[in-house]
Amino acid sequence: MSNTNMPTAPNAEPAKYPNSENTSLPPATKTKGPWMVLWSKFSRNPYAMTGLVVLLIFIIGSLSAKLITPFDPAHVDLMITNLKPGTDGHVLGTDEVGRDIFARLLYSGQVSLLIGFSVAAISVIIGSLVGAISGFFGGWIDTIFMRFVDVMSSIPTLFLNILVMAIFGTKISYMILMLAFTSWMSVARLVRGTYLQLREMQYVEAAKAIGVSKTGIIFRHLLRNATFPIIVNATLMVGGAILAESGLSYLGLGIQAPATSWGLMLSNSQEFMLIDPMQAVYPGLCIFIVVLAVNFIGDGIRDAMDPRQKQMKSRRRLDKWRKNYSKSEI
Amino acid sequence: MTEYLIRRFLQSVLVLFLISLVAFGLIHAAPGGPTQMMMAPGISPETAKIQAHNMGLDKPLPAQYGIWLTNMLKGDLGHTFKNNKPVGDVLWPTVGNTIKLMSFAWVISLLIAIPWGIYNSTREYGLSDQTASFVSYVGFAMPAFWFGIILQVFFSLKLDWLPLSDMYDMDKQGNFLNLLFHLILPCSVLVLGMLAAYTKYARSSMLEVLEQDYIRTARAKGVPERKVIFRHALRNALIPVITIIGMDLPILVGGATLTESVFNWPGMGRLFVDMARQREYSVLMAITLITAVVVVAGNLIADILYKIVDPRVKLGGKGGRSA
Repeated sequence: MSNTNMPTAPNAEPAKYPNSENTSLPPATKTKGPWMVLWSKFSRNPYAMTGLVVLLIFIIGSLSAKLITPFDPAHVDLMITNLKPGTDGHVLGTDEVGRDIFARLLYSGQVSLLIGFSVAAISVIIGSLVGAISGFFGGWIDTIFMRFVDVMSSIPTLFLNILVMAIFGTKISYMILMLAFTSWMSVARLVRGTYLQLREMQYVEAAKAIGVSKTGIIFRHLLRNATFPIIVNATLMVGGAILAESGLSYLGLGIQAPATSWGLMLSNSQEFMLIDPMQAVYPGLCIFIVVLAVNFIGDGIRDAMDPRQKQMKSRRRLDKWRKNYSKSEI
Repeated sequence: MTEYLIRRFLQSVLVLFLISLVAFGLIHAAPGGPTQMMMAPGISPETAKIQAHNMGLDKPLPAQYGIWLTNMLKGDLGHTFKNNKPVGDVLWPTVGNTIKLMSFAWVISLLIAIPWGIYNSTREYGLSDQTASFVSYVGFAMPAFWFGIILQVFFSLKLDWLPLSDMYDMDKQGNFLNLLFHLILPCSVLVLGMLAAYTKYARSSMLEVLEQDYIRTARAKGVPERKVIFRHALRNALIPVITIIGMDLPILVGGATLTESVFNWPGMGRLFVDMARQREYSVLMAITLITAVVVVAGNLIADILYKIVDPRVKLGGKGGRSA
């Protein structure tokens, strides 16, 4: 927490620290905004940048699926079942009813990414609203909302999703709404926490004094302070939603043929494990890589906005420095 | 303390009540309601009416809810629609199977995760620590059921070392060794998922404690490092870990659903999926409510343990940590 002892290193040392960029750089002409600071730290994190590049490749690849592959992912052709990879232009071969696996992977990517991002977006909206109202007004409104959050987090999410998908039918839109409806609670808690912390600040009082409306204070003055934590949370939620979608589709309660998703492909592949185990590998690998990429990005943003993270590393250096020099100096 | 216990208990009851409302409401919000769901297609409207009357489905919703809830409280979970079996007969055996699977996986992952996390906290950013963080990234990003399928392909189909699925071999029902043999693969899947989280918790909780002043004091007065770790730090570090493990119960119960489906394990999660497909709504509501009870009780116990273990925790305010 408190690392006030950090600068105790002798004057000669700090210049060598690679991550104390502020001392080695010439004075900046213009102060960086918070977004630029975030980006400059983020772009120096190899994991996060790899994650970003991989995710972009997947997004671009699945969006331009039509250009990349000439095959229709839903086209059944029983003459060409279970082709080996590479035959007749089928990059990864065909499945048990002659559909091109590579094309199916690309088109599945569209569905999975669509679900991942829209679920994150919707749950951020719901969560911010609930958290903001709850944290700002407090009192009985807060109690009611937070009890609701408790209830929502006490029902196993997967059960609720299965229940809803089984009862109402398996449409993509239902699925997105349902997944969003079961994952907004963390955002709500986070936003509420920020509000409770900040609503007594003087700038809020000042805003009230000059007659800013309640909505103005809630959304303009307070919500912005929670922006970065919300972004981190949302990023991790994208991964969670993709995993949840694949799980539901695997159980047969998600995406239905002729549409396709990675989870659905996995569920089909399990029946044909003996003939072609690789069919089970590809879609799972796609899910794994995308979720990993998203999580790396989320962690990258979190590390970039957390001033503690930098100190952790420098403390390690400090320990090393102590080991090397402490006998003579201290 | 007593006051806190009572308040916390009442809160839990309230949460449970709300959950039962949600579960009940969901089922009855279905297009056509449970009547539609449960009647065989092609049944004549008159017969449907009589059936609905027999099952009390023509009463107003609040009355139905009241009847259902009182039955639940009496321990009567209702009857399945298909063959009119008591829900309990279908449900309880699967609960036992899930508990066998989960407790096994849970104990193993805790036995690995906590010592590993502690070790890693003492050697931050070391090889073992990096490995743990790699494992946790993999565990969080990998679809558990996919890992299960891969294990099946490799260990059952290619190498033929371990059974593909189910709980027992056909001719060895109830054999404990056979059960262990069948547990290996599904447990590996579950352990990977839990390991990812628990190692991280144990490590970060230890790190936080190791930064405290009293640890520095202990070291300064010359307490050996072993004693510092195990006597001074560990006790305090385990408190948040206990809580998080308690809060994790919903994930434990829900997380087993997919694993059970992959390995054809006759547990509660798989029963839920099967029943959802068949729209056996009395079973679905019973499972939802039972899981909710387990989860809420888990949270309650975790909170109380937290209070007992750590006298520093102030539990005034509204509902302690969770509010």
